[in-house]
Amino acid sequence: MTAVVQPAPVATGQSRYSQLIRPDQVHGSLYTDPTIFAEELQKIWHKTWVFVGHESEVPQPNDYVRKQLATQDVIMTRDRDGEVHLLINRCAHRGLQVCDDASGNSSSFRCPYHGWTYRNTGELLGYPYNKGYGGKNKLELGMGKVPRVASYQGFVFGSLAADGPSLEEHLGAAAGEIDRLVGLSPEGEVSLDAGWLRHRTRSNWKFLAENETDGYHPQFVHGSIFGVTGSPIGALYSDSSTAVTRNLGNGHSENDLRPEFRNFAEPLRWFGTTPDRVPQYVAAMQESYGDDAERRLIEGAPHVMIFPNLFIAEIQVFNIQPVAVGECVQYATAVQLAGAPEMNKRMVSQSIGSVGPAGMLLADDTEMYERNQRGVQMLDPEWLDVRRGLQRESIDENGFTIGAATDETGMRGFWQHYRTLMEAED
Amino acid sequence: MGIDTATLPERPDVAGELLAIPAGWDVREVEQFLYKEARLADENDYDGWEALWTDDALYWVPVDGEGDHPLATVSVIYDNRNRISTRLKQVRTGKRYAQAPPSNLRRIIGNVELLGGRGNRDGGVDLELGANFVAIESRPRGNELWGGRTTYRLRKFGDEIRLVYKKVVLVDNERALPTLGFLI
Amino acid sequence: MTDPVVESEFASVSVRLDTDGNSVRLRLEDLRTGRVRHLDALELETIIWLDDGRLTQLLDPSHERWRG
Ligand code: FES
Ligand SMILES: [Fe+2]
Repeated sequence: MTAVVQPAPVATGQSRYSQLIRPDQVHGSLYTDPTIFAEELQKIWHKTWVFVGHESEVPQPNDYVRKQLATQDVIMTRDRDGEVHLLINRCAHRGLQVCDDASGNSSSFRCPYHGWTYRNTGELLGYPYNKGYGGKNKLELGMGKVPRVASYQGFVFGSLAADGPSLEEHLGAAAGEIDRLVGLSPEGEVSLDAGWLRHRTRSNWKFLAENETDGYHPQFVHGSIFGVTGSPIGALYSDSSTAVTRNLGNGHSENDLRPEFRNFAEPLRWFGTTPDRVPQYVAAMQESYGDDAERRLIEGAPHVMIFPNLFIAEIQVFNIQPVAVGECVQYATAVQLAGAPEMNKRMVSQSIGSVGPAGMLLADDTEMYERNQRGVQMLDPEWLDVRRGLQRESIDENGFTIGAATDETGMRGFWQHYRTLMEAED
Repeated sequence: MGIDTATLPERPDVAGELLAIPAGWDVREVEQFLYKEARLADENDYDGWEALWTDDALYWVPVDGEGDHPLATVSVIYDNRNRISTRLKQVRTGKRYAQAPPSNLRRIIGNVELLGGRGNRDGGVDLELGANFVAIESRPRGNELWGGRTTYRLRKFGDEIRLVYKKVVLVDNERALPTLGFLI
Repeated sequence: MTDPVVESEFASVSVRLDTDGNSVRLRLEDLRTGRVRHLDALELETIIWLDDGRLTQLLDPSHERWRG
């Protein structure tokens, strides 16, 4: 089904990806070529830090949940000492899927096929009728493990590569955006335990990653809901907006809406409410942060895309996982702020309205992703344009490239990092 | 963490108790109402469909089987009357791209079962019933087969039947669902 | 009244306080096989004090149930 147009043969001395990715254009085959997808699995999804879930999904010792890491079915477990592990859901005997339930609590897992039993750390603790193996503890086998697991503010990431940059190095400046989110909790903690909506999307994953900080589309794609609800969000992404699009490095990018909210200087405007509607929350914030509470409540939550698959859209968190070259799944949930019950209820309700398969925002984005996937299978023109704002970019006081609210600065940052990873030698 | 469900009202699917089937309901009449509701949804007759609802409407499509508490966890749809109206206003703009152009749809409703009565906020008793459905949706992305069980609550105003509550439990709501842009 | 059940995808066990004896005991039933065991207070206390490693050893399927 997938039409793949290949560009002119690679000039000598030029890598395939420098051929396909130009400063102002990217080639359509990047979204449609199954061989590129296979290479992305190796060089990105099986290597870099991928967002998998949140520690709050396994709050108790021996809790587990099944999660997706690219095409892998992984089990996020918390062992009895509290440490979080990511196991690959595959029995070391004959490869059966070990866990079948979506979640549970168990110190050990018993494979239903022949009864091999594993600790929730992945280590094999025994098998039935051990004489067939010459006795107990004779096999140096266990469930597969994601070799590197690390958390930041409870967000759990896994890397299938044994070595590489640390999670902190990978997150770089994007860590500060997670801190901003967490800083909206009076207790400095968020949880992602309001369940996940799972949205099947017939599109290449990169269309999603690029769209998340595309400030050019909201007025068009979301005009229908902004108009009906009188939402002020549209104006944040207009040509006169003072918001900026920032390339945070390592493929991460954000729409920094703070300049707009600072102009209004209205606490909670970003959340579409006012302090008198959530008085206990505002009081708790003042209690925790004193004079700084006002700034936090004015500036609001981040809108950041963390390469390759974690999107924090103010009060929602998205986990994007690829399935095939033309398919991915968006997992979405409502952020829950520790110590802010008034906010948490509203965030659940707003999220249900906005995201997921029937969301009044995300269903329309998803329609665009799917039409985009069909569009790029057409033969001509072969290239997608990412030059918007290239001529008006500048460097901010921290050395990051920034563009206007509607500029494609974030996409260019994404492609820069993508190319670095895809060109890296193993 | 998250929301302490002890602080919330009872979840709406099990709130109160299931009473005896209230008097004055005829199963044929009920079926005719369900078929009409299905036809209005299939034909994207938003005005006709919206007019079926009462003021205390609740339209719920949970995930993970019967779903968790809808005020504490996410659902695909959890619309009160106000949000039903917003959803329909959006689609009427013609720029709700997930439903523009609208899906081509036909659904079959069957296994209609009167289940009991459910006390309502006005002190009356609504009829509660269940039915299975299969729907074929056709869109440019392909054909989609939807199926599940719907629990309805109906109320009579004189001779007129109105829809109070509709909970749609999709058979595949534990897995990733495609865009659900139409009225299910 | 049905007894509470402690279960996961790996096992289902029903739990009841049994007062037929001269002291109360815990009656456990493996619902997948029907096998029953009673645990008295001292036995329960012993389980609480069991070293984690020892408990893990008991989970080896060839330790008792599928021996040999
Ligand atoms: S495949 Fe798991 S025990 Fe045989
Ligand atoms: Fe969007």
